[in-house]
Order: sequence, then C-alpha cells, then structure tokens
Amino acid sequence: MSARNPGTELDLSWISKVQVNQPAVLRRAEQIQARRTVKKEWQAAWLLKAVTFIDLTTLSGDDTYSNVKRLCYKAKYPIREDLLKALNMHDKGITTAAVCVYPARVSDAVKALKASGCDIPVASVATGFPSGQTHLKTRLEEIKLAVEDGATEIDVVINRTLVLTGQWEALYDEIRQFRKACGTAHLKTILATGELGSLTNVYKASMIAMMAGSDFIKTSTGKETVNATFPVAIVMLRAIRDFFWKTGNKIGFKPAGGIRTAKDSLAWLSLVKEELGDEWLKPELFRIGASALLLDIERQIYHHVTGRYAAYRDLPMS
Amino acid sequence: MAATRAESRAREIFTTLEYGPVPESHACVLAWLDTQDRCLGHYVDGKWLKPEHRDSLPCQDPVTGEHLASCLQAQPEDVAAAAEAARTALESWSGLPGASRAQHLTRLAKMIQKHQRLLWTLESLVTGRAVREVRDRDIPLALQLLQYHAIQAHSQEEALAGWEPMGVVGLILPPTFSLLEMMWRICPALAVGCTVVVLVPPASPTPLLLAQLAGELGPFPGILNVLSGPTSLVPVLAGQPGVQKVAFCGSVEGGLRLLVQESVWEETMRRLQARMERLRGGRGLDGAVDMGTRGAAARDLAQHYVREAQSQGAQVFQAGDVPSDSPFFPPTLVSDLPPAAPGTQAEVPWPVVVASPFRTAKEALAMANGTPRGGSASVWSERLGQALELGYGLQVGTVWVNAHGLRDPAVPTGGCRESGSSRHGGLDGLYEYLRPSGTPARLPYRSENLNYETFGLAVPSTLPAGPETGPSPAPPYGLFVAGRFQAPGARSSRPIQDSQGKLHGYVAEGGAKDVRGAVEAAHQAAPGWVGQSPGARAALLWALAAALERREPTLALRLERHGVEPKAAKAEVKLSVRRLRDWGARAQAQNHSLQVAELRGPVLRLREPLGVLGVVCPDERPLLAFMSLLAPTLALGNTVVLVPSRTCPIPALDVCQDMATLLPAGVVNVVTGDQDHLARCLALHQDVQALWYFGSAQGSQFSEWASAGNLKPVWVSRGCPRAWEQEAAGAGPELELRAARTKALWLPMGD
Repeated sequence: MSARNPGTELDLSWISKVQVNQPAVLRRAEQIQARRTVKKEWQAAWLLKAVTFIDLTTLSGDDTYSNVKRLCYKAKYPIREDLLKALNMHDKGITTAAVCVYPARVSDAVKALKASGCDIPVASVATGFPSGQTHLKTRLEEIKLAVEDGATEIDVVINRTLVLTGQWEALYDEIRQFRKACGTAHLKTILATGELGSLTNVYKASMIAMMAGSDFIKTSTGKETVNATFPVAIVMLRAIRDFFWKTGNKIGFKPAGGIRTAKDSLAWLSLVKEELGDEWLKPELFRIGASALLLDIERQIYHHVTGRYAAYRDLPMS
Repeated sequence: MAATRAESRAREIFTTLEYGPVPESHACVLAWLDTQDRCLGHYVDGKWLKPEHRDSLPCQDPVTGEHLASCLQAQPEDVAAAAEAARTALESWSGLPGASRAQHLTRLAKMIQKHQRLLWTLESLVTGRAVREVRDRDIPLALQLLQYHAIQAHSQEEALAGWEPMGVVGLILPPTFSLLEMMWRICPALAVGCTVVVLVPPASPTPLLLAQLAGELGPFPGILNVLSGPTSLVPVLAGQPGVQKVAFCGSVEGGLRLLVQESVWEETMRRLQARMERLRGGRGLDGAVDMGTRGAAARDLAQHYVREAQSQGAQVFQAGDVPSDSPFFPPTLVSDLPPAAPGTQAEVPWPVVVASPFRTAKEALAMANGTPRGGSASVWSERLGQALELGYGLQVGTVWVNAHGLRDPAVPTGGCRESGSSRHGGLDGLYEYLRPSGTPARLPYRSENLNYETFGLAVPSTLPAGPETGPSPAPPYGLFVAGRFQAPGARSSRPIQDSQGKLHGYVAEGGAKDVRGAVEAAHQAAPGWVGQSPGARAALLWALAAALERREPTLALRLERHGVEPKAAKAEVKLSVRRLRDWGARAQAQNHSLQVAELRGPVLRLREPLGVLGVVCPDERPLLAFMSLLAPTLALGNTVVLVPSRTCPIPALDVCQDMATLLPAGVVNVVTGDQDHLARCLALHQDVQALWYFGSAQGSQFSEWASAGNLKPVWVSRGCPRAWEQEAAGAGPELELRAARTKALWLPMGD
C-alpha cells in the first residue's frame, strides 16, 4: 500500500457548491465503454494486470475455514501456471491484490495465507457490514477486533442516514473515528452509492470520506440492489481527482459488486486510465472487489493461449 | 500457442498498460469495389451509368493513400439523364398513396440494416472519420430517419391535406459531408413524394452505395439518383426541366467556440486540458480512437488557423495521443485571441476550439449572437433559470442545455443567419419539400437579361398630375414610420390614379434613406414587441380589427374607386378584419414540446420571430393582401416594413391612422413609392431578416439574387397572382411557417 492519507480538516466549501450533471455523466459513461477496447496481446496483458487488482472476496453466511482456505490458495495462484508460462509471465509473481472476508473469518484467512507462505494482505469488512445500522461503539469495536486478528485493510461502510439527512460534519467525525480505530491498517470506505439517492450525494460523500482520511473509496458492498456502475464511478473518480488537485494526496478507488466478466474488468481499467491516468493503475490505488471475475479472466487467458474456449472443469475453482 | 514476439509484447504491455490497435477490416469494401471493377460511375434509374470518354478522379484512403477506385466525373448530358429518370419516377412515386411510400421506405431501412457493415466501413474508410462514430451514431440515426419519415408518409393524406410534393429535388453535397447529412434531406423529400437527384463531390462513393441499395429494391429505381461531379454542374442541374428545388447540404460540424464565465475560467481550462490529453486520434477504421481525420486539406486549414492565431498572440494548447504526420491534427484549444483579430470572426476549423471569457450571462449572449453564424449551441449551467434565459435568447436553430450534439428525426433542426434558414426533421422539415396544392410549378426560365446592377436603382420622376378629386376624406399623406406620418426624404410624391384614370391622390415617394429609417424604427420596436405575451399581441390585433371595422365605409369607397364592385369591396374589408382576428387567435398556440428517444426529458419546439421583415405587397386585392401578409407577421412577433400595393396604396395608409394610435411605434412601418426601388433597398439591407416579395417575375428574380448577401429567407411570387380570398392561400399554414423560425430547445432531466 502507498503512503497513508492523513486527511484534512473538514472544509464544507469543497462540497457546498457542487452539483453533478447526471445526464452528462450518463453520456460519458456510455462513451467510455464504446470507445476503448483492447485486443490480442494487449487484451491478455491487461487481463493479467486486472488480476493483480482483484480483492478476491467471499462474503457469505456459509463461509467456513475450508472455503476461505481455498480462496486464499486461488489468490496466490490465480492463473494456471502453464498458461502464464505460455505468455512468459510466470515469473511476474502475479497474485490477486488481497483477499476480503467477514471479520469472523479474518483469522482463518491469515492462517491459510501464512501456511502457503505468502504475504497477500487480508481485508476485512467492518462497521455493521453491509447496512451499517449498528451503534457507533459496536462498529468501532468491530474494526479493532478485525485489526487484532491480522487484517491490514478494513473496508468500512458509511452511515447512509447521515448522507441522506445532510449531516456532513457527523459523517466526517464518524469516519475520522474509523480511521483512528484502524491504527496502521488501511481504511477503505464503502459509500454504498446505490443507497445515496443522487450522484451529487455520491460526490459529497466521496469528498467527506477523503477529507476524513480514507485511503480508498469504494462504490458498494455488493449487497445493495444497484452496485458498481460506470456513472457512479465517474463521479467518484472526479472527486478523487479534485481531492488530488487540492491536497496532492492520491486516494485509491475500488469498484465492487456485479463485476463478473473479463470484458467488464477491461472497461474498468480503461475508465480509471481515462479519468485519472496511468499512475492510478496499480494495486496501491486501484482494486476490484470480485469473486466470480477471476474465473472468467482465466478462461479468456486460456482462450488467448490455446485458441479454444475452456470448460469450467479445465480451471481450478476458488 | 502465441508467437514468441507476442509473448514479449505481453510482458511489456503488462508494465505500460498502453492501448493497442483495434483495426477493422475493409475487405468488404474492396470486394464491393471489385464488383464495379474498381471504377465507379453514377447510379441512375436503378442502374450503374458508366458513360465513355469521361474524366475520372481517384478515390483514396486519406491515411494510407491506397488507391481504392476511380470515379467518373459527370458531364451535362449525364445530369440530364438523371433528371429525366427522376422526372419519370416522379409520376408513379408521387401518385402512390402515402402508405405505400411508407412501406417502401421501411424496406429501404431493412436493406440498409442488412448491409450496414459495408456502409459504415466504406464511409469511415473514405472520409477518415472514426468508425465508432459512423457505426454507433450515423447508421442507427439513418435508420431512425427512414422509420420516422415512413410514418409521416403513412399519415400524409390526413396530416398534410392541401399540400403536394414539389417535384424533382436536386441536392448538392459539399466536399466534406456525411452520409447522415444527406439522409436528413432525402428522407423527407422521398417521404412526401418527391424524387431526388444528388450531385456528390468527386470520389464520394457512399451515396452511390446508398443509391444502389435503394435501386435494387425495385420497383421505383428512379427515385434516388446519384451523380458524381464538380460544382460547375449545379446550374446545369438547377436548369433541368422539372427540377423544382435545389437544396444545399451543410458540411460536417467544424470547430467550436467556447464562452466561459470568468469566475470559473481557470478551473474550466484545467479540466478541459486534462480531458484533451486523454483523447486518442488515428486511423478512422480503428475501433478505439476518439477522432479520425478529415483529410489533408482540413489539416492544412487547421494548421493555418492555429499559426495565424499564434502570430496574433493567442495561447495555443495541443494535446492528445494523435499521430503527428499528415493528415492527422491534434485537438487544439486556442485562448486569449484578441477580440479584434481576424480569426475571431472567421469560422473555426475542426478540430480547434476557441475559448473566450465573459463576465455575465448577458455579455455571453451578446457575444454568441454577435457572429454571422447561427446553427446550434449548447448551454452548460446547473441553474435552470439561467440556462433557460440563455436557451431562449440564443439566436440559433438548436440549443442543447447541458448536452451537445443530440439529434432526433422528430426534432426540427434549422439555423439562422448564415447557417441557412431551411429546416430538417420533424414536421417543419417536410414542408421544405411541399407546396400548397394548386400552386404553379416553378419554371426553370430565368431572365438572362436582368441587370442586377441597375434593377430598381433609379426612380422615375413624378410630376404634378392635376387636382385631387373625389369624395372626402382626403387620403392621409406621408410615410408611416415609427408610428407617425413623415415626409419622404426625397420630398417628392407620386400620383395614384383611380380606375377611370383620374387622380385619386398623391402618396409620398419613399427612397433608400426612408427604408433605412423604417428598418431602424422596426428594430427599435422589436424587443418590446417580442417581449409582449402572445395574448397581448392578440388583443392588439383584435383592437386593430375593431378599428378597421369602424372604417369599413371609407375603405369600401376607396376600393370602389379602383374598380371593385361595391359588394366585393365590402366583402374584402370584412375578410381583412377576419384575418386580423384569426391570426390574433393563432398567436396563442405556437410552441409545443416533443418526446424523443435519445433523451430523458422534453425537447421544446419554439416558434420565434425572424426579426424585421420586409414585405412588398401585390397589386391584386390591395387591402386584403396587405392585411393577410401583415397579420401573421405581427401575430408571430415580428416587426415589419411594408410596401403597399403599387396601384392602390391608399387603403393601407388609411389603416395606418389606426395603427398610429393602437400599436407601439415602429412595429409596423409603411413605405410608399416605386416598388422595384423599394424592393431593391430592402433586399440589399443586411439587417432585414426576411423578405417577402409579391410582384413581377423580374423583381422576384432580383430579390432572390440580392437577398443572398446575408442569406435572408426570401419568399417571392414570380409574378403569379395569389387567391388571397381563399383560406389556403390567404391564411394557410404556409404564412405561419414563413413568418417565424423554429428553435429546438433540448432539456435533459435527471438527478
């Protein structure tokens, strides 16, 4: 991870005048998807790069040690060795960026990763994920416990009530406290954009989260009805750029939820490249929260290398 | 397994994450050209026409220079053959029920759909434009245009009763055009029953392919004919028997002017430059470029403009991932161009944007309206009130609020000033190819002897012609300008004789200076008159109608002296009164909103006054024609300078006495005198926004010629009298269409 975001004093003038032009954002979102494609070797290289951005995630009620362990193994060996060899990429140390689990499974993940001898970070969701509707005290305690168990990245959800009622100071204070509770762990703030009501609120919440010291801002929990969409992403990326222009601090971006196909992942890469530039295309500043995506990428790589489409049994499950 | 070179390539790309080429094959185009042995002729009457002994020009890929085909250049006899084919096809095509034409257009849409890859690849290959733009925007819109106009054709008999197709339409395409611009014109023409001859610039194969697709549908091969040839053939096409209209097609959108409020100037420039840096340019047939090229000539134009701007001290910012060699040119932002520099008024070439700051919205409006062009504009503001204020105030054909470049077949697109006054799309666009039923066809005859330099220049001198006779009251004397009767600048008068040849009275002899004064007065009155609500304008027209009613005995007597039967004279006054009342009522219902596919939110179709209208009234029906022409112009918010009937101007002057007390000064100005001379003065006045001329064929020809100076819309009678007493000719929708222009205001919604 890159240098921490120290955050700034709350400055409401950064958000008070902002008004997002929704129809124009929708058009820009359409354009980017239609105008940027990569083919052949470019596609293979971009897909492998996408793998290194993935926060390989399992967030289910039925998670146990065995499937978390399998997930960790897949995080370490995301693409079949022979396929990487064929592309001469086997020595690049390609792994996913992190694994992401519920707080109660953090210790399982840490144990499994240690056993396989790798240093992929473990991220934990926290603060009453996914709704955030628990007491602040509980939410702060949850962060501390996850960090104690060995999580080095904490994906917190914000209190949507505060956004919808315009209590920006209170939101800033809460996230500030989350940041403090994280200690050395990185703070990734989930805005749950599907529940914020408008793109203008998305921009304002993004800015508040960054001012309060988030290292990443993340679109959604994956549990809302609307998850990572391009229009929302454009607004968040523009907020990140504005924050960078104002403070010189680079904040990371993590779309999550609904990103399932290799083609989708390419579109997300080009979106970040177009809006923020190449310097954001590294795991320190860009993550994709996904579970099924990795398998589809592996299938595309398989096709690129062999010229055939893979059957699911040809590739190891995660 | 991938080749070794590719492997190492992947390693490198993994680090750089650069974009790669996404080439689209143009094999289908080459295969199509092979069917013509790489030699394209003309497509006429459903067949390829390849006459012998013609010059040919090469058609090349503008990027690689690859020779694609040679294109034969038409000669006058080829033009005649095409016009003949269109004329023959017109008989059956215009006679079809609208529903059958609708079916045919739908079949053409299906045909295009089936061959769209060939069409978009060809268009992108030869024009150099980004294939994405052609494929994702132009082709779908072309299909929508066909579909929309098929629907219009289907309901033509009911919706457009009283109108008939003009006949054969000639369409001239400029050197840089798009297939789409052509579709905007041929779809309505074909839908209403016209047939078309298109003259395309050398080496433009896409319209030929389109004509082939249409021709292969049978059974109406001659409805769309395409010739390739030089612009010297335009008069030849215009002179062909049966050609009723020649339309010119605008070229693709050029560069832009950007006005930015000073308070957000720095921020906007920074964001604009950041965005420009990410633009990608390259070969049009690459699926991942934002912009292609428009050829070496367009590049040179942009290069020249930018160098010129630089030499005048402007700031130039260029960025983007664009090949540096010809014919490519990077997106360019020019700022700090001094206001007096020659480049400030010149048309901005593609892909250049010229940005200037403004202080207030009012100032922005003055700057935007202060150019000779008036095609389209977009307004970006999150304040609804401000955006609407600007949207209504901009003198252009299309305004997009917080959007740019949206088009829809149902929305009329037009322009003002030098951008031309014709409209495309919507119902407005259909009328461009229709004429009121029973109107005589336009004759190709034009007098070669008319001397434009001297026509109407000198006023014949007038002398005393005996005592004024007849019943009182004596006619009012003077030019009615700025709300009162004034003496003419020439201080001389012309006698008006009655039907017995006796002197009825003298009217003032108006001249150039008087016209100038009248136009000035009309301009001064314009803002106040436009600002009145339609209801207020209607009330004033009704008040004028009541005054006219009171004056009926006098007016009838005046008409009787000019040989009108007493009963008919009374009827003419009564009908004149009705015209005022009818147009007063119509002033209310002008604007409406449309719903279109590409946009969430309404598109407002606004009817806006043209400004100051010059109207030269006919000799026939001196009072009724005067009122029939005056009433719609006023109802729609114009101010007007009228020249009343040459032979019988006195009733119009009588009415001026009422207008002096009822209407705001300057809204109506009436100038009597020599018609040819006054028409000349109006036509050559750059600040008269439209001219209606009802007089001789020669005067009509002159008015058309002279009005080209500021491209003012002109409506002439060519010496044919009009049936003013009939509803269609005297108060029909044609008057309403011509008395105002349409603006489309796009209002996207969303939060």
